[in-house]
Amino acid sequence: MKTPLSEKIAKNPWIGWALFLGTMIVVFVLGLLAASIVQRRTEANLMNTPRYKIDEFEPRNEAWGMAFPREYQTYSQMSDTLFRSKYGGSAFRDLLDEDPRLVILFAGYAFSKDFNQARGHVYSVVDVHNTLRTGTPANENEGPQNSSCWACKSPDVARVMAKMSPADFYKTKWSAMLSEIVNPIGCANCHNPSDMTLRLFQIPLKEAYERMGKNVESLPLNKMRTMVCAQCHVEYYFKGDGKYVTFPWDKGLNVDDIEKYYDEYAFADWIHPLSKTPIIKAQHPDFELFQHSIHYQRGVSCADCHMPYVTEGSQKITDHKVQSPLNNMEASCMVCHKQTKEELIKNVYDRQDRVYTQKIVLEDLLVKAHIEAKFAWDNGANEKMMEPVLKLIRQAQWRWDFVAASHGASFHAPLESMRIIADGIEKASEARLQLSRVLATLGHNEPVPMPDLSSKEKAQAYVGIDLKKLKGEKEEWKKNVLPKWLQLAKEREQNMPLPERIM
Amino acid sequence: MFDWAKQILKRFQPPPNWRVPVIVLAGIFTGTGLFVFYTSRAWSYVSDDPATCVNCHIMRTQYVTWHHSSHREQATCNDCHVPHDNIVRKYYFKANDGLRHATIFTLNTYPQTIYMHKPGQRVVQENCIRCHGNLTAMVKANVDLDTILAGNGKRCWDCHREVPHGTVKSLSATPYGTAPVPKTDTPNWLKKLIK
Repeated sequence: MKTPLSEKIAKNPWIGWALFLGTMIVVFVLGLLAASIVQRRTEANLMNTPRYKIDEFEPRNEAWGMAFPREYQTYSQMSDTLFRSKYGGSAFRDLLDEDPRLVILFAGYAFSKDFNQARGHVYSVVDVHNTLRTGTPANENEGPQNSSCWACKSPDVARVMAKMSPADFYKTKWSAMLSEIVNPIGCANCHNPSDMTLRLFQIPLKEAYERMGKNVESLPLNKMRTMVCAQCHVEYYFKGDGKYVTFPWDKGLNVDDIEKYYDEYAFADWIHPLSKTPIIKAQHPDFELFQHSIHYQRGVSCADCHMPYVTEGSQKITDHKVQSPLNNMEASCMVCHKQTKEELIKNVYDRQDRVYTQKIVLEDLLVKAHIEAKFAWDNGANEKMMEPVLKLIRQAQWRWDFVAASHGASFHAPLESMRIIADGIEKASEARLQLSRVLATLGHNEPVPMPDLSSKEKAQAYVGIDLKKLKGEKEEWKKNVLPKWLQLAKEREQNMPLPERIM
Repeated sequence: MFDWAKQILKRFQPPPNWRVPVIVLAGIFTGTGLFVFYTSRAWSYVSDDPATCVNCHIMRTQYVTWHHSSHREQATCNDCHVPHDNIVRKYYFKANDGLRHATIFTLNTYPQTIYMHKPGQRVVQENCIRCHGNLTAMVKANVDLDTILAGNGKRCWDCHREVPHGTVKSLSATPYGTAPVPKTDTPNWLKKLIK
């Protein structure tokens, strides 16, 4: 190779041509390789594309089910109401009947009329129709509740909110949306129709994160498997006269942080008619308490236990029958825990039993505090005397409700639940101690007579709820009023095209 | 000082009348090479990110089953599937296996159900013991693949068959499992321009 290449080519031009062609061929093959890589990536994207074109706001779960029959099938299984665990499950449970103390604690609030164990997502709309808490509105301008109630009940909410602002939506009466919101919680609440990735469409959650200066737009997949649940399974309140759904997280997610937030607003859900306490109602702060869970801290998401992977023949799918893991322990718990089922159930119940027992202790104290406070008012106590007492009752009931309302808390975060209840017991005891001083000042040094609250009926009679009348009105309303709205919804949906097949 | 380098360069210098086409061709060649590098996300294959492994969509089942297993929090694909005793072996094995996978995937010659080949099995067996050594030592399972193949022991997953991918593993086993999808090549500024 002493002679330079150029001289060689000068002698034999074909070498030059060979070089030229050789390079061209290499470039051509490289191009083919690039094309192949791009094509295979497109394949990967197409694999996750539904075979049907689903509209961004498609609220009908059965329409999504056309593209994802297996998932839809397991989703539909949520209609099963057979499972009953020790404290929960999907079976019907009249919680007021199981624990009449709740009637006193929620006196003056709709929960004292009717409070049942929540059933599966597929019942979200029906159960809102059925509950006595929503009343019997004769037209779209009546009724005790606003449309804020609908915010978490249906994928129709996003569809309607695309046409009107959230503020306008929350302002309307609950009854005004009866003909619009008809599909139970389902596919669109968590999924992006274009590629089935998880998405957050709950405006209150996004706003809460914005106020905290955090971004919820691009989270890793496993975080999303928790966040889609945090769209609804959280503490919230209706802000102002517009009943704007708001998550009170600005100061943090702990029970004390949220209380500070509410105190700053001097917020109260209602004034308790017996003790005249301005009460904050806690609404299932599941996500907040889950932060204290050892499972959460070890990276487990909600879906890991409540929607585990299951094998169906030769395929594995995410079980969309969202339910208590106690009904599905092989797939839920035993993927990680190698103990026997009996042992694991015992571990769960051990925690729940202890939290439940202490919860009842606190409930008893609170019931007595409310009735003793009423006795004090009746015997001439003034506001100045009662102010510190009411503050303590408010704090104690907030702590009790924070744990009691989050059904999973006793297992998710037993330690934090116990801490909160212990705090509550201390506050409730202090309230009763101060009450006894108030009563002593008023010249009473005897135990306050307690009414018989041994059953739901007796308790409701004591707070003046005529259940028979309410139930009768509801039945009447369901027979004569509700069907008209549902008919309107039916007519509206008849004109909605079903997803079309694109692949 | 750089005479020898100049000598070599000279050898490759095309004659003056060839210069332009050669420069253009070299540009095309390099450019195409760079595009292949970019579109295949070649740099990501040095990392330990499981999302890289799902660039080939036939690995979805493996990704999704791992993502639903208890190993998800502790071990990435590479924790089990590449050696960790020294950096040279690690990257040699990674490169070797990666190129093998890339070739099989490109030529469409992959099977419907993926099984580990022997070198892969050797590495996984090593890695089971690497993390679970305190357990495996107790049951005399600290054996390498050669001992197992000679009939003096079992692979960990001969008994622990579900760990971590489960037993359902064909390419179509997880049709709608959520796994990271490779991002498009088109940069955002270009998308906006096209709009």
